[in-house]
Amino acid sequence: MKVIVIGCGRVGADLAYRLYKRGHDVAIIDVDENSFNGLSPDFQGRFYEGDGMAQDVLHRAGIENCDTVCIVTNSDSVNLVIGHAVRTMYHVPNVITRNYDAHNRSLFEAFNLQCISASSWAAQRLEELVYHTEIRTVFSAGNGEVEIYEVTVPPAWNDQTIETLVGCPDCVIVSLARSGTAFLPNLHTVLKTGDVIYISATLDGVEGLRVRITKRPEEV
Amino acid sequence: MLVIVIGGGRTGAQLARALLKQDHEVHIVDNRKDVLSRIHREMPTESIFEGDPVDPSVLERAGIREANVVAACTTDDATNLVLCFLARTQYQVRRTIARVNNPRDAWMFGEMFHVDVSLNQAEILAHLIEEEMSMGDMMTLLKLRRGNYSLVEEKIPVGAPAIGVAIKDLGLPDHCVIAAIIRKGEVMTPRGLAWFEAGDEVLAVTDPDGAHQLAKLLAAPKPTPQAHAQNHTRNGV
Repeated sequence: MKVIVIGCGRVGADLAYRLYKRGHDVAIIDVDENSFNGLSPDFQGRFYEGDGMAQDVLHRAGIENCDTVCIVTNSDSVNLVIGHAVRTMYHVPNVITRNYDAHNRSLFEAFNLQCISASSWAAQRLEELVYHTEIRTVFSAGNGEVEIYEVTVPPAWNDQTIETLVGCPDCVIVSLARSGTAFLPNLHTVLKTGDVIYISATLDGVEGLRVRITKRPEEV
Repeated sequence: MLVIVIGGGRTGAQLARALLKQDHEVHIVDNRKDVLSRIHREMPTESIFEGDPVDPSVLERAGIREANVVAACTTDDATNLVLCFLARTQYQVRRTIARVNNPRDAWMFGEMFHVDVSLNQAEILAHLIEEEMSMGDMMTLLKLRRGNYSLVEEKIPVGAPAIGVAIKDLGLPDHCVIAAIIRKGEVMTPRGLAWFEAGDEVLAVTDPDGAHQLAKLLAAPKPTPQAHAQNHTRNGV
């Protein structure tokens, strides 16, 4: 795959290196040549010193026949503008942007650009770890609107049906693992202490689950 | 008419003052302390809105929903593009104007980001200087937005080849139209039978090729080497 990474800060340098290690053809662009020092010494992709908004720089990096462009500078405006321009003008099939300041999140929606808000994503993960160890995120879809969680059944919920713990419109049960073997449960499946339930839930759904799991079944 | 000017630097503030003078309603947005304190001295407080220019809530507070025109005049090209895009797609603003800071970004200032008019100061200046250098005494008054036409002005010197010849017989190029003749302070509508006199000021709408041919017709005859030498001596004294 041909990938162009624009912005060689912490995120850009790490991303470019990972893609290079996977065997992709990687070009990285940054205005500041010193920023390339942040790349791992064994990175063998192509460097372009220049402004990612300049057409000649994009051309030199191979914009006209690349598969993916990742725009990860520390300016949201620049990320939006390059993202929209390469999608509209060069029809790049996959354009991914970084949302630097979470306050600007709505702008990415206005441009309908796929984005990762690294800071709010990290904050959300940390928040989960602060509250509970029974519920952990294993997969995020989109920007965390819906996630897949791993829920470990505490002793208080032994011999209860899965419905009493997880049954709510904002949670969908994905699978249940007992003693290392997974199966598809139904709402009447009876839980055992230590069972691991995988559920797909919205933030509201998981919030309700957090409240229930800390209580005893008769309190719910 | 409500105009939202975003960016209160030299360009934005100058624009806002000019619009206020013409009795338009102007709201100017900026978040730089030094800029705000300067524009607060020059403009009425109710025209000034403090906040991050790309924050939709700031734009809404400044009245972008009711705005007829948005002029994005910040010093950051990406910000100006984002502003025009938002103004049209989110707020249905009828007309968007953006300042181009770096000529290398000019390729994006257009339909792609819903920029109706882009002002590329560096390019305008470069073009003007280039034309002034190649056209002698001809002056470009205005670049027309569509096509490659300009309104140019030239004063006819004594001895110019065009003097005394009917305009229709001058053999003017196709892409060059004489718009007006200013003679002794009076504007004359040029008809095909009219002719130029020394001292006339001529206004023409023309493309660059036409301008070159017109410049030749209206220029003073080249001084002979002798005349040149005399000039030189006179200047030397």
